[in-house]
Amino acid sequence: MQKNKFTGKRANQAIFFSLFRLMSYLVVGILFCIIGFIVIRGIGVINWEFLTSAPKDGMTKGGIFPAIIGTFYLVIGSMLVAFPIGVMSGIYMNEYATNKHIVRVIRVMTNNLGGIPSIVFGLFGMSLFVNKLHFGDSLLAGSFTLGLLALPLIIRVTEEALKAIPDTYRQGSLALGATKLTTIRRVILPAAFPNVMTGLILSIGRVSGETAPILFTAAAYFLPHLPTSVFDQVMALPYHLYVIATSGTDLEATRPMAYGTAIVLIAIVLIMNLLANLLRRRFSK
Amino acid sequence: MKLEAKNVNFFYGDFHALKDINMQIDSNSVTAFIGPSGCGKSTFLRLFNRMNDLIDGTHLDGECIVGGQNIYDKSVSVDELRKTVGMVFQKPNPFPKSIFENVAYGLRVNGVKDKKIIAETVEKSLKQAALWEEVKDKLKKSAFELSGGQQQRLCIARALAISPSVLLMDEPASALDPISTSKIEELIFELKHDYTVVIVTHNMQQAARVSDKTGFFMLGELIEFNDTKKIFLSPDKEQTQNYITGRFG
Amino acid sequence: MKHTETELLELKKAISDMWSLVHSQLEKAKTSLLTGDEELARVVMSREKRVNAFELKIDSDCENYIALYSPVAIDLRFVLSVLKINKTLERIGDFADGIARFVLETDGHNQHLQLLKELKIEDMFDCVLEMLEKDKLALEEENTAMAGVVFTIDNKVDDCYSDAILVLAKHITAHPEDVLYSLNVVTLLRKIERIGDHCNNIMEELVFYLDAKVLKHQKTAQDKDTE
Repeated sequence: MQKNKFTGKRANQAIFFSLFRLMSYLVVGILFCIIGFIVIRGIGVINWEFLTSAPKDGMTKGGIFPAIIGTFYLVIGSMLVAFPIGVMSGIYMNEYATNKHIVRVIRVMTNNLGGIPSIVFGLFGMSLFVNKLHFGDSLLAGSFTLGLLALPLIIRVTEEALKAIPDTYRQGSLALGATKLTTIRRVILPAAFPNVMTGLILSIGRVSGETAPILFTAAAYFLPHLPTSVFDQVMALPYHLYVIATSGTDLEATRPMAYGTAIVLIAIVLIMNLLANLLRRRFSK
Repeated sequence: MKLEAKNVNFFYGDFHALKDINMQIDSNSVTAFIGPSGCGKSTFLRLFNRMNDLIDGTHLDGECIVGGQNIYDKSVSVDELRKTVGMVFQKPNPFPKSIFENVAYGLRVNGVKDKKIIAETVEKSLKQAALWEEVKDKLKKSAFELSGGQQQRLCIARALAISPSVLLMDEPASALDPISTSKIEELIFELKHDYTVVIVTHNMQQAARVSDKTGFFMLGELIEFNDTKKIFLSPDKEQTQNYITGRFG
Repeated sequence: MKHTETELLELKKAISDMWSLVHSQLEKAKTSLLTGDEELARVVMSREKRVNAFELKIDSDCENYIALYSPVAIDLRFVLSVLKINKTLERIGDFADGIARFVLETDGHNQHLQLLKELKIEDMFDCVLEMLEKDKLALEEENTAMAGVVFTIDNKVDDCYSDAILVLAKHITAHPEDVLYSLNVVTLLRKIERIGDHCNNIMEELVFYLDAKVLKHQKTAQDKDTE
């Protein structure tokens, strides 16, 4: 018999809440395990030389500087490709397109594009940019391929950012005799800017960690020098990691280097995500 | 500037939102539209700066005339029209910019570049909107730091900055407390010396307080349009009487 | 029914009760005058206090209604006319009281009942009572069709008044010893004639309330227009 009619369901609820809590703690735990595992194994090799010098002696010695720079170039290149296209199509879809059907088709297609496995992007990039357009294995081809990969995310984020701008801003501006373009340029985009930037940073995080798309399009196994033009091949962190973990001359010797590379890669992605969060929080105030 | 509607019929898709409306609005007066929600009064108001154009699938028959010009004529530029016919919305909608930039916005988008002119106009508009004294020391602060009532007066100042002839107000005080409301009402009363003011309101006492003429809308029809005093003392139509005395529905 | 309407109905009921009270005061005053019944006159005088209290109550009811409900249109006209009718009824009550005082305080009233008959005071009284009744009916039925009738009766009252003055003048010449009493009778006649005017005003207020027409001083306004 119940002592008090108000306590009846409490026990039941407590069990479920504990379960939910446990699960969410588990996720955090896993993340920390992975990071901890990698950091413990790799922290030893992280030093100034590792970050600033090129690999030596069949990658058993030296650092990952060309790979860091390569990744940096690829990120910039891919953003130069994806950002204008993505933001412009986002603006078109949210501000201009009047035909709801077309918008829906574009949106579904964009989502599908985002669902394509990254290795397929790699293959596509190779056949289109590398072979058909004769970019060769190059920074340019890699940037375009990574850009395509990042496009859906940027379109999506832009669209969401624009959707979050209250219609009253648009009406207020139009009612003052501003044209649609002026309204977008002067009111809508500045207001949506923080969220669009967030999307940009998130996609940088995504792009910097991708291996498959650059596998056939841009990445070099080993380059003694930094790329000098967009038609040069580049080294990149994720690919470098793959290489030294699977096909080095002395796998045992390169293992700590692999973990060190992983730390740098994870650090870049994490920093980008944190930056995105920070930016969002700061502007949403 | 005089406004006139001639045989206006308006449709949202198949929905017949305004039925054969004829009305003449005098210049330098305050005209209030009252009526139950969905009666078409806001829709009718928005015809005069073509804000309904923003909604898909709408269709207009008849003529809306502002200062002798049918504003739905093909030769009319919507942007130019909206400089003449300003609008203030129900919810204060300042841009996420500084107080100064909010008022200067209309000038800037219309190509005014002279900093001195902009500064002078901003000050004049803020004074006209009875806001200058409250904000003159914090023009660079974000408009969002103002109270709701101040924001609404800022929006009025913003509309006044491009010196329109007509000011449309869509329930401008419905989201405000009584003190802010009375400030806005006082302002409306002042504005009629220089502008033709048309105001949609759910607050009948407000219509009674600020307007010279009142139009009562119901189900897309203009039931009665008359002097405000006449409407509130002895309306001609029983529907009007039932609505304003609260016997409606 | 909405509670605002219930308030209005209560106000209507109150003014209606006031009306009945004043009507009965007037009837009693008439009987006591025509029969010289001093007892009845005292009743009228003591009840006058109730009329006054009633007036104050209705006044404050109206004030409250306006303060709380901000009436407009027909409701506003109703409350405004109730305010004025209330005041007018109270005046009529005062006249009834005055007539009762006349019965009690005028020396030798009982010796002159025959004179009052000759002056056709009873007819005059019946006329104003009928007016008062018709006014009340108009309010209850919210119908101003009787307005014309009431205005016609008022003209009759005015005629009665002028006739009575002529008769009185003859009487004074024939009976100079009655001059003092006769002068008092003049004020009496004047009171009754005024009651007729007040009933007219009430009907005008009802027309304003029900038909939103302002009849008061309309003649003078029209005259000005034609000038």
